[in-house]
Amino acid sequence: MSKKRVKTTRRRGQNQKKSTGSAIFKWIFAAFLKLSILGAVFFAVVLIYVDGQVREKFEGKRWALPAKVYARPLELYPGQSISIQDLREELTGLGYRFVSAAQGPGNVEVANNRVRVITRGFDFPDGAEPQRRLMLEFSGERLQRLYDEARNETLPLVRMEPIQIGGIYPHSNEDRDLIRIEEAPPFLKEALLVVEDRDYYSHHGISIKGISRALWVNIQAGRFVQGGSTLTQQLIKNFYLTSDRTLSRKLLELPMALVMDFRYEKDEILEAYLNEVYLGQSGTRAVHGFGLASQFYFSRPVTELELHQVALLVAMVKGPSFYDPRRNPERALQRRNLVLSMLRDHGHISDAQFQEVAALPLGIAQARSLHKGAYPAYLDLVRRQLRKDYRDEDLSSEGLLIFTALDPLAQSRADQSMVTVLNDLEKRHGARGNDLQGAMVVTDPQTGEVLAVVGGKDTRYEGFNRGLDAVRPIGSLAKPAIYLAALEQGYTLASVLQDTAINMRLPNGDVWTPQNFDRQIYGSVLMHRALARSLNLSTVNLGMEIGLPKVVDVLKRLGVERDIQLFPSMLLGAQGMSPIEVAEMYQTFASNGFRMPLRSIRMVTTAEGEELSRYPFQLRQQVDAAYVHLIQYAMQEVAREGTARSIYQRLPTSLNVAGKTGTSSDQRDSWFAGYAGNRLAVVWVGRDDNSQLPFTSTGGALPVWIEFMARDKPEPLVAARPSGIEYVWIDEETGLRSDPLCQGSRQLPFITGSAPQLSVDCGQHPSVNTPTPVEPSSGWLRNWFR
Amino acid sequence: MKQAKWILISGSLLLAGCATSNPFTNIPVEDRTGRPVPSTTPAPVVTPPSGVIVTPVDPGLGVTIPGEVPVVRMQRELPPADEVWQPVTPQTRTPTAPSAPSAPTPSLPENTAVVALLEAARSDTNSGDLRGAQSRLERALRISPREPDVYYELAEVKRQFGQFLDAEQVALRGVGVAEGQSAQLRKLWILISQIRTEAGDLAGAEDARERASKF
Repeated sequence: MSKKRVKTTRRRGQNQKKSTGSAIFKWIFAAFLKLSILGAVFFAVVLIYVDGQVREKFEGKRWALPAKVYARPLELYPGQSISIQDLREELTGLGYRFVSAAQGPGNVEVANNRVRVITRGFDFPDGAEPQRRLMLEFSGERLQRLYDEARNETLPLVRMEPIQIGGIYPHSNEDRDLIRIEEAPPFLKEALLVVEDRDYYSHHGISIKGISRALWVNIQAGRFVQGGSTLTQQLIKNFYLTSDRTLSRKLLELPMALVMDFRYEKDEILEAYLNEVYLGQSGTRAVHGFGLASQFYFSRPVTELELHQVALLVAMVKGPSFYDPRRNPERALQRRNLVLSMLRDHGHISDAQFQEVAALPLGIAQARSLHKGAYPAYLDLVRRQLRKDYRDEDLSSEGLLIFTALDPLAQSRADQSMVTVLNDLEKRHGARGNDLQGAMVVTDPQTGEVLAVVGGKDTRYEGFNRGLDAVRPIGSLAKPAIYLAALEQGYTLASVLQDTAINMRLPNGDVWTPQNFDRQIYGSVLMHRALARSLNLSTVNLGMEIGLPKVVDVLKRLGVERDIQLFPSMLLGAQGMSPIEVAEMYQTFASNGFRMPLRSIRMVTTAEGEELSRYPFQLRQQVDAAYVHLIQYAMQEVAREGTARSIYQRLPTSLNVAGKTGTSSDQRDSWFAGYAGNRLAVVWVGRDDNSQLPFTSTGGALPVWIEFMARDKPEPLVAARPSGIEYVWIDEETGLRSDPLCQGSRQLPFITGSAPQLSVDCGQHPSVNTPTPVEPSSGWLRNWFR
Repeated sequence: MKQAKWILISGSLLLAGCATSNPFTNIPVEDRTGRPVPSTTPAPVVTPPSGVIVTPVDPGLGVTIPGEVPVVRMQRELPPADEVWQPVTPQTRTPTAPSAPSAPTPSLPENTAVVALLEAARSDTNSGDLRGAQSRLERALRISPREPDVYYELAEVKRQFGQFLDAEQVALRGVGVAEGQSAQLRKLWILISQIRTEAGDLAGAEDARERASKF
């Protein structure tokens, strides 16, 4: 193309030579004058147009910046329950390097019981966390001491930077991480200029030298092989123009480059270039700028890049796909070393330095080690929450910062527990155990924050999110709500329920005959035992006695927002709910009757850290704490003596967990919901085609829950006795008052004054079978409770 | 001049309501305030579905006393250790099962991190930075959710924001956590009384004052 243009010019020159004569000269002069004026006007118009274009782009919003989504920052403080291994995992997620001698930010040095970390610091919206040189001293699974070596002080608390777990991307699918020119690592500018534009600081936006050289090369080759573009021109090409190598583009590019160079400082243009340049592809997303490329290829911030890494990124500018270090490592290495040699030839590095660095491997991080993409189910929850409050275009273009409550450690434990147990089940049950799916929601019962969501067995799958969308019959998970309704109506844990056969004719004429899981009939059963053993017949009888509307009212107060059908089968959990809805409901049990809306987002700020919205800690008391204490006792019994006994084969009994098993009718869904002191987890295991499972709650969901709690090591549940509760010895069989000295007695909690008056007789009192006073008379028994 | 123009993003996010004087009125916080749900949803039908026939059983109310015949039991030496299982109050954190491995000690009030956050939050509050205080107190809450002081200070911040309902509920949760700690309970009930007074609930305030006087 360049060649053609050259020829045309030459022919015109020959034509001019032929024309002679003064009249003609005069005519030419006049014509030239007119043309000049016209040209000047035209040129001025073009200049104004070009100037406007350049300014609009350069001074306006240059890029659509995706929102950045962050995990919770890890808080470090003395006395915290955290192992060195946990810290290691968190720091790996942050892209820290494990070295033998920590020198700069992002370095960690691990010894036996001590860890030296040089943090990067982070500008949190509620205050900056400075960069620190920390010495952490551990004792077992506990952090003992935090010491800042640079400032020589012991610290009460440090917040690590939050791991970025994802983004919300614009339709252009461009992703970038803006950097300022001062943040450019050593040699980035030098390498870029040496390779791409040596006269950058002396030319005026275009380089005659560069163009002539390119022209010469192109003429020799007979086709376009080299562009003489300066960095300014390259930036303009990316900013304003298509990448077609057309003449008109070239013609517009030149004045624009001149205008840009005239208007802006060299470093401003270079900074824009650093952020604009295309450096690779992550799936469908284009990786732009050195900031993001540094994360994408090396999993660390650009400021921490070393010379060989800088050289590789600069090498890739020429062709990010051709020199892709993951797909074409040989080619990339060769070109990286070419860049290094150019740095040496221009005196930026010594030959010794060159020799040393050129011998280094590429040092590319595994593509998957990026935390982006690891949390599809949780991000789905975050996105749904955000879309209630923000417009899509703001989310994908304003560079918003979204601080979530995701706990990457809890999430990875949840992921691993689900995968491990489901694989194990498939192995154990053979063909009948195929295609198992699962979902899990983990929260902090004290704050209502969602810590982790598992959307399926493939924990990185960005599709159907079972944690939020698998609405399945909850089975016996409904029972605690029914028993709570009964307690509110005056029943006690020692009330005698009738576990007897039931036949109900439903409005549509069908006859409903619920049965116990083992098809037995137990006759008279105390209420706490009926719940612990999850007896269906006692539950249906109880539910019909107190009335379905009362049960629905309790479910609503506990946090169930969906409409619940008033069918008797609702008493056995025919109602479908998603794991996150179940979590919301059990959260209210776990927080002593206070309902807390589940929160995944803590705060949203602008790119500059200015607060836009926060999602504060909120709660409303929906159930009297005393009733919740009674239900919680029965749910602790589920784990001690009831259907979930297998818990304490693996977990320490001091954990004191409360929970409930759930299996839907025909055994299609296996559920477990339960909590310890600072963790609540709801697990569902089933199949997408809703087919029958070869196990119940205790064979599917419960093992996943136990596996998670064993890995997560939560704090024990402290069930403080609220005022208005007394513990009374009760005869297990009859529910009458008893005594610690009598066989078959046990302690049960009661709303003060509601315990039975009549007592069994084992000779504990001189006067037998008279109503005993509410308060235990003997002093030692009273002391039992102090 | 050039540098000044270099601001990347104008930051002019047009979010409805950002300019109101109350910082919380239009912030997109959860709408699910957790008020008693029946007020917003139609009351459930009280009559059970017609046609449901329950087989005649006497479910009993726990008062089915087996006649006047006394129930006699054998005596035993001492109840088995694992049957003497009762939830413990925070002061008497005795392990329930002696054989169980030592439990990690729950976050204690003297947790230096929480003390530091509480101090910083108080100084934020004193200098009028209620949002800063709120952020710090929520951090403290995550670290030590059984520390009554955290609820007290958070309720106080919410009171100063004029969010009386939220403030009262946070303080009530604090009462639950402070069970058995007289000084804390007294402090919390006094605060609840103040919140209720400001919210115009004078009877409630009086009730809270009475409760405070019991500690």
